[in-house]
Amino acid sequence: MKNIVEFKNVTKCFKDFSLENINLQIKQGYVTGFVGANGAGKSTTMKLMMNLLQADTGEVKIFGMDYAGNEKEIKERMGFVYDSNVFYESLNLKDIRRIIAPAYKNWDDKTFYNYIKIFELPLNKAIKTFSKGMQMKASLAMALSHDAEFIMMDEPTAGLDPVFRRELLDILQEIMEDGRRTLFFSTHITSDLERIADYITFIQKGKILFNDSMQNVQDRYALVKGSIDLLNQDTEKLFIKTERSSYGFQALTNDAAEVKILLGDRVVVEEATLEDIMFYAKGAKHQNV
Amino acid sequence: MINLIRRDLIIQKFQLYLFIPCILFFIIFGSHLSAFFIIVFAGFFIPINAYSYDEKAETNILLNSLPYTRTQIIASRYIGAIFYMAVSIGITIVLFSLFNRAFTWTDIAIGAGITLAMFAFAFPLFYLLKPGYIGTAIVIGFILLVILSQPAITFLGEYLTPIVQFFASASTTILYLSSAGILIVLYAASWLISQMIYQRKAF
Repeated sequence: MKNIVEFKNVTKCFKDFSLENINLQIKQGYVTGFVGANGAGKSTTMKLMMNLLQADTGEVKIFGMDYAGNEKEIKERMGFVYDSNVFYESLNLKDIRRIIAPAYKNWDDKTFYNYIKIFELPLNKAIKTFSKGMQMKASLAMALSHDAEFIMMDEPTAGLDPVFRRELLDILQEIMEDGRRTLFFSTHITSDLERIADYITFIQKGKILFNDSMQNVQDRYALVKGSIDLLNQDTEKLFIKTERSSYGFQALTNDAAEVKILLGDRVVVEEATLEDIMFYAKGAKHQNV
Repeated sequence: MINLIRRDLIIQKFQLYLFIPCILFFIIFGSHLSAFFIIVFAGFFIPINAYSYDEKAETNILLNSLPYTRTQIIASRYIGAIFYMAVSIGITIVLFSLFNRAFTWTDIAIGAGITLAMFAFAFPLFYLLKPGYIGTAIVIGFILLVILSQPAITFLGEYLTPIVQFFASASTTILYLSSAGILIVLYAASWLISQMIYQRKAF
């Protein structure tokens, strides 16, 4: 399986935040979801991917190429949807097309107008009058009209109403059907990922916690519930975080198989949702307290 | 590259409708103004207006996400500025002729020279400053100008005679050629500096 994007030991430091030693692979032909709390480093990672930021150390490769010397070729094959509007606000879609279309060799007007029709977007209204959903659709239409092989989306579902969110997920599923495209998108709304993601990358405080297939994540992670007297130094090592109450404990493990062997019927093991994982991982520094 | 330059016209199509009326206003009601002043205004109008759109972080994110290199983005700014200045001055000359406004080729040369020198100073400064600080920078620049103009005039007063003598002794051709040379060096240096600043910029 080919990697469309590869980060090798990428580090980027800011005054008050840093991405440390990021290793990341995005598999060709699949949907990879990118989750993490606010400020975990999602946007920074995506900006590194677009070369809007340059890494302090490490290697970023897109389509197997370095940005140095290949910037145009890489971006030619990439589509982008950002969490805020990047188009000139006072222009309408027609004018924005006139700016963006000539930038791409592969631009296809027919495809563009087709998506404008499907997405029901007005061509003659200024972008500033667009709703968040319409702006997102406009970006997506642009990305699809130059036949991008890799589409990167920064929180495309944030601020969308539930109906349109489902519609968008259907559209995304549709564009993935022919298997030529790769999709990478960040979100807080973990249920979106459970619907369409094949792979999950989880970032926390500037570090990648895991980068694995959805299936593996679901197999490995589990919520474990049981009585407090089961907790001792050995068993607690199995848990990322343990919460105690007068009724017993509840903990997240990333080794469900081992828990089943060691504790067996004495505990209840439930499937952990991505949200559970996000929630427990956030407090993981209090681990074993 | 041509697309990037053409973009300047698309993004300010409404302001462009104001361009000719503005020039006409200066021609009709500004009979006391030197012709070169109107030329400077005309040359400055489109490039600086276009720049004010590009100041936004979002626009830079867009441009840098499209298949352009940062070198191209800066080059389009500098080449575009010369191109639009030339076209604007051309239009102004036509309007001057239509409305029988007197002007000399010296006016045009001086006007174009001043405009280019202003671009050379303004662009790197704008790339260096964070969005939103440009207004403040202009105000500070203006205050500095007012404060410094007094000592500058005193200085000039002292040394004016030798300067005037130097200019008087030099032939017009040499004068024009040397100013053109200085201007080219200034513009090229400004281009390089902007490029260096922009290359390192994070969006």
